[in-house]
Amino acid sequence: MSDIHLGFQKHESLQKIEQHVFEKIMDECISRKVDFILIPGDLFHVNIPEMRVQKFAFKKFREVYDAGIPIYVVYGSHDFSPVSNSVIDLLSEIGYITKVTRATSNENDTISLDFLIDEKTGAKIAGLSGLKVGKDREWYEKLDRGSLEAESGFKIFLFHGGVSEMKADSGMDGDHMPLSLLPKGFSYYAGGHMHKWNHQSFEGYPNVVYPGTPFAGYHADLEDNANGQRRGFALVEFDDVVKSVEFVEIQNTSYEIIEVNADNRKADSINQELVEKTKDIDPANKVVIIKVRGELTSGKTADVDISTIRDSLNERNAMVVNVSKNGLTSKEYSITEAKGNNKEEIETNVFSENIGQLRFDHAELLGDNGIKLAKKLLQELGQPILVNEKKNEYVPRIRNNALAILGLDKDDS
Amino acid sequence: MDEISIVGQVVGGSFGDIVIRQKSGTNLEIGDLMVSEENGSFLILQVFALEYGSQIQDKMQQMMSGVNLEQGIVDANFYEPEFVNYVLARIKPLARVYKENNDVKIPKSLPSFFNKLRLISKDDLKFLQKEKDSIFVGYIRSGSKIIKEAEVWLPAEDVFSHHVLIPATTGRGKSNLVKTILWHVLDTNKVGALVLDAHDEYFGRNGVGLKDHPRAKENMVYYTPSNPPVGANRLTINLQSIRPEHFEGIVDFSDPQFQAIRTAHRQHRANWIRELMITNVASIENSGDTRRQGEFAVGTMMVVQRKLRLILSLEVDEEQVIVSRHEVFDSTTKGLNTVDDIVRDIEQGKVVVLDTSRLGDEAELLVGNIIASKLLQKYKDAKASGELDRKPVATIVIEEAPRVIGVDVLTSRNDNIYSTIAKEGRKFKVGLTAITQLSSVIPKTILANMNTKIILGNEMKQEREAIIASASQDLSEDDKNIASLDKGEAIITSIFVPFAMPIKVPLFEDIVKNRKSTASTGKTKVF
Repeated sequence: MSDIHLGFQKHESLQKIEQHVFEKIMDECISRKVDFILIPGDLFHVNIPEMRVQKFAFKKFREVYDAGIPIYVVYGSHDFSPVSNSVIDLLSEIGYITKVTRATSNENDTISLDFLIDEKTGAKIAGLSGLKVGKDREWYEKLDRGSLEAESGFKIFLFHGGVSEMKADSGMDGDHMPLSLLPKGFSYYAGGHMHKWNHQSFEGYPNVVYPGTPFAGYHADLEDNANGQRRGFALVEFDDVVKSVEFVEIQNTSYEIIEVNADNRKADSINQELVEKTKDIDPANKVVIIKVRGELTSGKTADVDISTIRDSLNERNAMVVNVSKNGLTSKEYSITEAKGNNKEEIETNVFSENIGQLRFDHAELLGDNGIKLAKKLLQELGQPILVNEKKNEYVPRIRNNALAILGLDKDDS
Repeated sequence: MDEISIVGQVVGGSFGDIVIRQKSGTNLEIGDLMVSEENGSFLILQVFALEYGSQIQDKMQQMMSGVNLEQGIVDANFYEPEFVNYVLARIKPLARVYKENNDVKIPKSLPSFFNKLRLISKDDLKFLQKEKDSIFVGYIRSGSKIIKEAEVWLPAEDVFSHHVLIPATTGRGKSNLVKTILWHVLDTNKVGALVLDAHDEYFGRNGVGLKDHPRAKENMVYYTPSNPPVGANRLTINLQSIRPEHFEGIVDFSDPQFQAIRTAHRQHRANWIRELMITNVASIENSGDTRRQGEFAVGTMMVVQRKLRLILSLEVDEEQVIVSRHEVFDSTTKGLNTVDDIVRDIEQGKVVVLDTSRLGDEAELLVGNIIASKLLQKYKDAKASGELDRKPVATIVIEEAPRVIGVDVLTSRNDNIYSTIAKEGRKFKVGLTAITQLSSVIPKTILANMNTKIILGNEMKQEREAIIASASQDLSEDDKNIASLDKGEAIITSIFVPFAMPIKVPLFEDIVKNRKSTASTGKTKVF
């Protein structure tokens, strides 16, 4: 199993699903009496998650430990700590899990990896952690591959990183490495970081497997779930070689997805379509995802009224309403880019290029006055927090200054 | 001027064909560069022909030879022979350099009569200063003498967007030149390049190559179909990436055949090749289903299937899965993003080398076509949204260029992406770097658009004529000069250089040897 991202969810009902799915998988492993569990990274969403998460995770790991099932892990890009200051290390310290990265940096600037041997099965396990934006690539380039590849027996390699050859969609740009960076000739490659189930074999690399996230580690995962993405873990049977790799699906929750194409339309017609499309669905206890993308012919993107739809769905007991308007733009209010020799000049030029398309009754917001005002406001909003200033002092300070620039009172609504 | 350095003196001729007398004891060569000092400026001139001159009539000389040969008189010296017999060199002015500001202009006047000339030196070539974002091509060459201090750097963005032609016959140093250029492209992220490497010779899988560049890990991506070396990518392109228009101008499909593949694409969208390949044409014919039969002649379908099978090396296994013998094309889930990845790398100013040595001619061009089409489209979109300025110039390096921009290809088939790029790519900062043995079969309209030509030796007169006719500078007197270019010697003619520059391309192996070694960072910390 991989990319569980415990602690990612912010919404209470989604937190429950996150916890439930994790516990369900662990229970499955106990009941199926697996020999060991591999977790190639991103077990937690951050290196030190909140206490609530730690509590249920420790409890479950204890149960697995008591059942005599070892868990082998590497750090993922989310839960790693360069100073071994992560919950992973805590779990490792008390023996519930085992970190498999046993690396030695050599004088000749190569990196040697030692195998860890699973007592029960004799499987030899080696692995490398994942760092953000592929910074771990250097490790692979310096890896002493000869000794790893020469080792005989049933070998497993744990890694956390996207492999270009297995990329299923074009997202996660620049975050992949070629398969050739992994050492060759292992019997099984347990991969993390790519969030969709993927099992492929290549010349010299049999069984490269990404179990994918069991629920969601990014917002886009929920959308994939709504579109039917299967979630779960991989169950592997082996003796001298891998005999089978089975994907065990774990249900998480129910979804409704509403997608609207806004190309060449006005906000009113989008609003109408949203009402139409949400009218007949039963949102009760479901994650509802609303996705509006495209380019409006006129009006502001804010004219697409999501809040009314959201309220209506919430009234009908939707578990969570997730709205994505990132892909929504408007022809009328699109920002034209402008050039300049320095930051100051670029800002002035961008405002000058774009202010003409605004239609307000307030003359002070238009023309040269508008540009001056916008620049002042931008400058104020860009002020950093002062040394020793607390956030609850910083926010009101900036807000009051911004309001003063706009000539408004705090009480003006 | 130091008397010792004088090599000759102007004695006659006309503009473009000046005659000088060679000073005795010196040895002028074809291609030698010399300097005529004038007031406030100097002329750079080049030798294009050498002949004998003598104060004695021909018949008398022949008689002298007779005496020498037949009567065995060996000591038949003239009185002061250096005055009597000599060499005349015909030279042409290349450039006038103004000393005050190192400004280089096309010369419009003759050197002073009887002016003494000397060979060019490094100090005369100070105007060749390396500018920002330029690429190194070689050292200035005067005849066969190399002036190592005078490096020739070309402005990368201008040169690559206005296309580069490298005409040469085999063994004259083409691949050494291309490797040298790409090596310097790797220095920065200012130029993105797609290299269709038909001989797998640039990366350096077995020996030195671009992989040895200190920045290769960041700036170069290598794709190869099988057994990729550590860090390299597997070249797998999913059949879903191929669209009917990618075959245009590359594969010889008849109109009904094209119609058939377009219909298949319309019906099955991304899976059209798979569906087309597994259609059992014979069973349709025997089924008597007139509706299906009516779509296309069975013969047409069979020819389309056969052509696709041959071009893409496809086979259908017993489970109706399409497999490609050289593993480059995949019908399952592999290689879905390869094209996007490559295009993105080029947009980031990287050099992407595709080992196409295992592909047939047409498959190689098809792969290039798929990528180049997407790249050009992205650059067009960037121009429309005002973001083109931020993108690096992109070039597509293609060998045996007449395969795609040859006159027979372009007249018998539709335009393909390569000819489109040759004609309009420069507006979008996308150019071709075309390598060819046969410039004469490239249409004049395309040759004229190739604004930089790096001419290597060529013994074929017809080819030299085609190159000379389309050069950016007047090379009408350089026919012999081009014919006598040795391995690694070249002439650059370009709208971006002040005159046709004779250069010597250094040996790639030497460049690699001299690379600055990166300081060792010591032990790497692993978490």
